[in-house]
Amino acid sequence: MKRANLKSALTTILIACVATILINVTLTSYWVFLFTGAVVAAIALLGVGLVASRAGMISLCQMSFAAIGAWVVAWLNVKHAPGTLLLWILLGGLAAVPFGIAIGLPALRLRGINLAIVTLGFAAAFDVILLSYTFPGQTKFIFVQRPDLFSSDQAYFALCVAVFVILAIALNLLSQTPLGASWLALRHSERGTAAHGVSIPQSKLSAFALSAFISGLSGGLLAGQLGTLVAESFTLMVSMVYFVVTTMAGAHLAEGAIFGGILIIFFPEVLRRLGLPQDIGNIFFALGATQALSMGGTMAEDFRGLVRKFFKGKKIVASGFTDDVALATVVPPVVNANARPMLDIKNVTVRYGSVVALNDVSFTVPEGSVVGLIGPNGAGKSTLIDGVTGFLAAYEGSILLDGKKLDGLPAHLRARAGIRRTWQHTRIAPQLSVGEYLTLAAGRRLQTEESVALLTWMGCPGPLTTISQIDAGTRRLLDVAGVIAARPKIVLLDEPAAGLSHQESTQLAARIAQIPTRFGTSVLMVEHDMDLVRMVCNTIVVLDFGKVIAAGPTQKVLADPRVIKAYIGDPEGLVA
Amino acid sequence: MFTSTVAGLAAGGAYALIGVCLVFTYRLVSVVNFTGAAIGAVGTFAMVMLREQGIPLPICILVGLTFGTVTATLLGAVMMKWFAGAPAQTKAAVTVALLVGMIALGLRITGGQHPRPFPDLVPGAAFTLAGVVITRAALVTISLAFIFTIAATRFLNHTRMGLQLRALSERPVTAELIGIPVRRLSIGVWAMAGLATTIALMIIAPQRAPNFLTFSMLVVPAFAAALIGGFRSFWFTLAGGIALGLLEGMAAGLSSLAQFRSAVPFLIILAVLMWSQRRARWDEAR
Repeated sequence: MKRANLKSALTTILIACVATILINVTLTSYWVFLFTGAVVAAIALLGVGLVASRAGMISLCQMSFAAIGAWVVAWLNVKHAPGTLLLWILLGGLAAVPFGIAIGLPALRLRGINLAIVTLGFAAAFDVILLSYTFPGQTKFIFVQRPDLFSSDQAYFALCVAVFVILAIALNLLSQTPLGASWLALRHSERGTAAHGVSIPQSKLSAFALSAFISGLSGGLLAGQLGTLVAESFTLMVSMVYFVVTTMAGAHLAEGAIFGGILIIFFPEVLRRLGLPQDIGNIFFALGATQALSMGGTMAEDFRGLVRKFFKGKKIVASGFTDDVALATVVPPVVNANARPMLDIKNVTVRYGSVVALNDVSFTVPEGSVVGLIGPNGAGKSTLIDGVTGFLAAYEGSILLDGKKLDGLPAHLRARAGIRRTWQHTRIAPQLSVGEYLTLAAGRRLQTEESVALLTWMGCPGPLTTISQIDAGTRRLLDVAGVIAARPKIVLLDEPAAGLSHQESTQLAARIAQIPTRFGTSVLMVEHDMDLVRMVCNTIVVLDFGKVIAAGPTQKVLADPRVIKAYIGDPEGLVA
Repeated sequence: MFTSTVAGLAAGGAYALIGVCLVFTYRLVSVVNFTGAAIGAVGTFAMVMLREQGIPLPICILVGLTFGTVTATLLGAVMMKWFAGAPAQTKAAVTVALLVGMIALGLRITGGQHPRPFPDLVPGAAFTLAGVVITRAALVTISLAFIFTIAATRFLNHTRMGLQLRALSERPVTAELIGIPVRRLSIGVWAMAGLATTIALMIIAPQRAPNFLTFSMLVVPAFAAALIGGFRSFWFTLAGGIALGLLEGMAAGLSSLAQFRSAVPFLIILAVLMWSQRRARWDEAR
């Protein structure tokens, strides 16, 4: 475990211990019981938050998963199953997972709001079925037995807190793995995430299945707390309220989940004491969630922002190249004369209806070289990158990577085969940290020294910086650092210097020219900055109206009158 | 069994009508509207609560329809004011939040899950077909669903305003720039859908466990119908809604399946998604 993680885990445990002792010692059993309810609700919210606040999907059946967990615990209890409540709760959580997968599998392969609809349908159907079946032991008043150690309310409260802390720490660690980082990333941009080699359906499905597990656990814990269960605790309406509270509080963060759990349990309690109807709470939650959605933030995120501002001051981190590069010193990489083609584009044609975006385009990127792809706006450069990286529905012709055909492969498999790309507009999720982004982009945990070396080389801030603190120009540099971290066979850079100052783009040029020798990665670069192109490219391909109008060594092509005409028109009849 | 299947016709017509309204709202203002049925519930309960005060039925109906339409208009105004440029996912989440608020408020005002007697607006049988009675309620909901489907298709494809609305849903900013009154049209779409949904709910109200929550949850079968239409085709949505009603009726008629009747929409949703996931591709420019 890294030091920062260890520190945050120990802090969480310390706060939890202090809070548990304080509540258990100073408050009566009634309040301890309410707080237990709040922690159980917070655990359920962690599950909802994983899907809703982290991965940005709408799930409206989390309490049905909780009911499955509770049902399994009640059933094992009635059957006098071996093991104790702790094991049963775990089994209850696991029992919810297949349901989550069965519902998520058809919905999550499709983009859009299908998960919201299918979970709503499931919860509505489950309500009726649960009402007619009831919980095992419910009609005979068989109470769920707690082990002796946890028989008191105070001890059970401590158990629930412990489960919450374990889940919170585990989720925090998970968020630093490629899988965990992909959840936050896909909420921001599915294409951008797929370009890192992440299968979007798998990523979404794993988030949903894990959330079903966590919700199942919370149901089992509730069974242990209440002893006897009723279907009303798990209705569709309760699921929707949990979704709404998650949206408002931001339950993907531990403090958001706790805050939400406290709201769910104590708000009705306060209303009751004031002599007001308790269901007013739901109206308040609905308004709060609508407000949070319109502001695009959650209570927990706002809270973290405030804390950060208070301790560190609000600052935007700019790029910091440590060296000073003179323009004349940048030269293209040395390419072996017999280099094999790393990327081979053969007769690629792309049509949008009657418009031909790419017309019979063929060229190669030799291994170890930097190839520039230039042309006026609308020439088809980005379309070509989309085609090579698998983001077009269809194209004619053939694309080979290192001699292997890519045609028909989806984007994430092309990325895994060794093609990475950057985007004209950066698609990095602002909630990620620089380190998490590199992990996601590389598809593996980088050693700290490795990531720091790469980040320093690219002029990016350290791995603990949050992306939202970084200025736009530096995010572009981070884009490039990310694709290099994956050590692909080839990177496709889409206007990497857009938005950079002249000084920065010269420094970027020096890095790009070194990519082939330093990392063994060939480069295909779309760029409008002609100085940059002239400095780093071995060869250039010029596109105009979807056709290759010139290709060859950089200086020769740039002097070609047809290229000049395509770029700046033909004012003086340069082209005969 | 045939009798019970046909008994699902009225509900099928209502599902179809609400489903077509959902598709209408989605295609024109790109909102997947979870409050779709709750809007109708507002109007229906306004009607029945006035009726309990002894006010003549036609006035109650008129006021109820107004309530439904006004509620939809208000929701539309909220969506336009604060969420016009938001992604589809966010808009859907907003309607879920609003739905929770509406149900809480609705249950409070209408006295919780305590059932109320609903007047049968179109009582009696219309005609008998092969020994099976077709109710007038069924006839009315299905006719209305047909009329709304035809009107929606014609409106979108053959009128200038329909063309403007299609431009609006695809490129709202551009539409505004070329002088299309975006706000007014969008809110108009909400109002139309609200009115149609209210009518559908008023007619089938007596056949349902009449509380605000169950009414609001009629959005589930309506979603199933809309998915059958791919959230695009009005005609497939119409057919899907009616078929769903018939299937539910059939399940209700078989004693072994009766208690799982309400699982029918869920199973349909699953089946439709499994079918349509064959052609998953990059459809959203995100």
